[in-house]
Amino acid sequence: MRHGCTCGRGRAWVLAILLACVLALLPSVDALALTTNKATARPNEDGGSGVIGGIATRLTWEGTVEEGEEVSEVTLTLPEGGSFDGTSTKVTALEGLSRAKVEGEATPAGNRLTVSFSQPVSAGMLLRLEVEGMTFPSAGGDVVVGGTYLDQSGERPLADSKPIRTIANTPLQMMVATLDQSPAVEAWNANPFLGMFFKPQLLVTALFSLVPGWLLCLLIVVIAYPFAIVLGLLFAFMKISRYRPVRLVATLYVNVLRGTPLFLQIYIMFFGLPMMNVNINNNVLGVLVIAINASAYLAEIFRAGIQSIPLGQYEAASSIGMSYFQTMFSIILPQTVRRVIPTVTSDFITSYKDTSLLSSVGVMELMMFSKNLTSVSGNMTPYVAAALFYLVVTLPLIKAVTIIENRMANAERGGGPQHHKGKAAAAQEGGESAGEKPSERVMRAEALGTDPAPAPSSMAPSLASEV
Amino acid sequence: MFAKRQDSATRVDTPPAMDAAEAARIAFEHDLPLSKHHFVEGEHPVVRIEHLNKTFDGVTTVLRDVNLNVWNGEIVVVLGPSGSGKSTMLRCINLLETPTAGHILIDDDEITGKSAREVARMRRDVGMVFQSFNLFPHLTAKENVMIGQTKVLKKGKDEAEAEAIKQLTAVGLADRADYKPPQLSGGQQQRVAIARAVAMHPKVLLFDEPTSALDPELVRDVLGVMRDLALHGDMTMIVVTHEMGFARDVGDRAVFMEGGVVVEQGLPEEVFDNPRHQRTRQFLGSIG
Repeated sequence: MRHGCTCGRGRAWVLAILLACVLALLPSVDALALTTNKATARPNEDGGSGVIGGIATRLTWEGTVEEGEEVSEVTLTLPEGGSFDGTSTKVTALEGLSRAKVEGEATPAGNRLTVSFSQPVSAGMLLRLEVEGMTFPSAGGDVVVGGTYLDQSGERPLADSKPIRTIANTPLQMMVATLDQSPAVEAWNANPFLGMFFKPQLLVTALFSLVPGWLLCLLIVVIAYPFAIVLGLLFAFMKISRYRPVRLVATLYVNVLRGTPLFLQIYIMFFGLPMMNVNINNNVLGVLVIAINASAYLAEIFRAGIQSIPLGQYEAASSIGMSYFQTMFSIILPQTVRRVIPTVTSDFITSYKDTSLLSSVGVMELMMFSKNLTSVSGNMTPYVAAALFYLVVTLPLIKAVTIIENRMANAERGGGPQHHKGKAAAAQEGGESAGEKPSERVMRAEALGTDPAPAPSSMAPSLASEV
Repeated sequence: MFAKRQDSATRVDTPPAMDAAEAARIAFEHDLPLSKHHFVEGEHPVVRIEHLNKTFDGVTTVLRDVNLNVWNGEIVVVLGPSGSGKSTMLRCINLLETPTAGHILIDDDEITGKSAREVARMRRDVGMVFQSFNLFPHLTAKENVMIGQTKVLKKGKDEAEAEAIKQLTAVGLADRADYKPPQLSGGQQQRVAIARAVAMHPKVLLFDEPTSALDPELVRDVLGVMRDLALHGDMTMIVVTHEMGFARDVGDRAVFMEGGVVVEQGLPEEVFDNPRHQRTRQFLGSIG
C-alpha cells in the first residue's frame, strides 16, 4: 500500500515534468499545420534490401494536415546530390479510411519537388506522395527529407523526416541497375537456361564480389607452391637415396599422400589438429595442406626427371672430376628443371584448382564466395563466374605448357626458330642432321644399304652393370 | 645408380706386386721393343695396369689379368672385336667401372679402393672422350669446356673462358663457342668433348670409340683433331678405336684384345702387318 503510494507520487512527478516540457514546446508544435508521418524508399538493391543512392527508386512521403489548417502546396527537399528530375508523382489523400479526391501538380526541379494542389487539402487528411524515379545522393548515408509547405498563413518549413538509410552507389551497382532496366537483359533472362546460368546482373555482381575469394585462392597456391617444390625435391632425393630406410620413408610419404584424396587430407588436418589443441589459422592451414599434398606429386615428378637424365651425363661429369653434389647441382638438376617445367606447371594448375576443396572447411576462397552468392540468389550464375576466375589462370598456363613443350621438342631436334644460323651451319657440313642419335644413324645407314659403324664392343656388359 | 656404383663390386685386395721403381724398370724393358715412344732412362709409366680383372655380377668375366703400361706422351691404340673388354678396361682406368681385382696406378698412385672424394680428385688427371659425346646439353660449347675448370679446378671465370676459347680454337670450333650441343653436328659435338677433356690438362686422355657414333664423312674431322693432339702435343692417349688407318698412322703402340685378354701388343706396323697371333690375323682379316 505504502509502496504503491510512493509509486503513484513518482509517476505524478514525472508527468508534471513532461507536461511542463510539452507546454514549453507548444508554440512551435502548434505552428505546424502539416506534420510529417514518415518517409520511406523502396529498396533498389539487386538481390538485397538496401536503398542505393544514385539509382532510381520510389520515395513515399506521408504527412497529416492538422486541425483547422489547409495546405495548398508541399515542397520536398533532398540533400545535395539527390534528384527529383524526371519523376512522376502520385498524390493520395485519405480521410479516415476513404480516399479523398485531391489533384496535385508536381514540378520537379533538381533536389526539390513542388506539389501544388488544385484545391487545398483540408484538415485531418492524410497526404501521401509517391515519387517514382527519384534518386538519392550517390554518396549514400542517412538521408533526411525536408521541405516547406504553404497554408493560409504562407510558406512554412516542413519537419524533417526520420532518416532513410542509403547505400553509397558504386559503378557496379550503377551497371546492375542499367542491366535491370534493359529490355534485352530481360528477354535474355526469360530464357530458363540463360537466366539460370548466365544472368547478366548476377554475373556482374559475382565478378566483383568473388575477387577476394579469387585472390585468396591465388595467395594460397602461390605461397604453398615454393614450399611444395622444396619438399618435393627433398623427397625426390630421398627416393633415390642409396640408404634403404630413407627410401622407404620417402616412398611411404609419397604413396600415402598420392593414394588418399586431398579432401580426406583436408578433413584430417582441419578437424584433427584442433582436437589436439593445435589451433592454426585456417588460411595458413590451407597453405600447409596444399603444399604437403603437392609435394608428394612433385617428388615423383622430380624423381622421374632426375632419373630421365642419361647415365652418360653422370659419367661425363665424373670424368672431369666433379663430385656428386657438383654433378647434381651443375649438371643434373638444371637439365631436370627444363624437363619437368611442363609437368610441374600442370601440377600447379591442379593445385590451384584443388584450393576449391578448402571451401568445405570454411576457408573463404573462391568456391566459398560463389556458394554463398548462389544460396542467396538461388541462381547458378555465381558458379559460372567462379569458373571464369579459375579459367583466367588455368587457360594461359595450359597454353604456356603447350608452348614450352613445343619449344623443348624443337630444341631436342636441334635448335628452335631462333637458331637458324646453327641449323644452316650444320646442314652445310655434309648435309647431316644435327643432334642425330646413334640408333637413328644406324637405321638410316641400313635404309641406305650401307654398313653402320661397328657396334661398341663393350656395350653389352657395361649395360648389364648398370641395370 | 650414381651412388650405387661406388660400392657394387667387392674387391680382392692385394697390394701391387712390386714397388714402383722395380715395376717401372721391368715395364721399361718389356715395353722398349713394343712402342715407338721415346723412352727416357728411368721414367715411370703414367698408367700402370696390373693383373686387372673385371667380372660383372660375379658371372660375366670381361677382363682377365690385363697388364698394360702407358708412358708419358705415348699414344696407345687398343683394337679388338666387340665384347673384347677394350671399353671396360678404359672405363676401369677412371673408375667408371670398379675393378674386381688387380691394380691401376696413375703416376705410381694406386687408384682402386679409394673414397669417393679421392676418386673425384684422381679423375681430374684422367680425361675421357665418350662414344656418345655426353656434352652437357644445357650449356653452350664454351660453357661445356669451362665448367670443369671453374667447378673442379676452381679457376676464375676469365681464365677458364680464355682456356675454353683456346681449346675450341684448337679443335676448329671457335666460331661455335656460343652454340648449344643440340645445334651442333655430331662431329662438332665430339670435337667440343675433346676440348672439354683437354682443357682439364689431364695426365692421360682416354678415347672410347670416339668416332663410332659419327657419320663417315664427319669421322675425318674428329680424327684430324685427335691426330693434331697426338702429333703436336705431349698428351698421353689411350684410344679404343676401329679406325685402323688412324691406329696405324698415329699410334706409338697397338694393343690387340680379345675375350678380356691382351692377346698381342707391339709397334703398330708389326701388329698390322705381321700379327703373331692367329686371333689377331683373323680380326684384321675380317676388318680389311
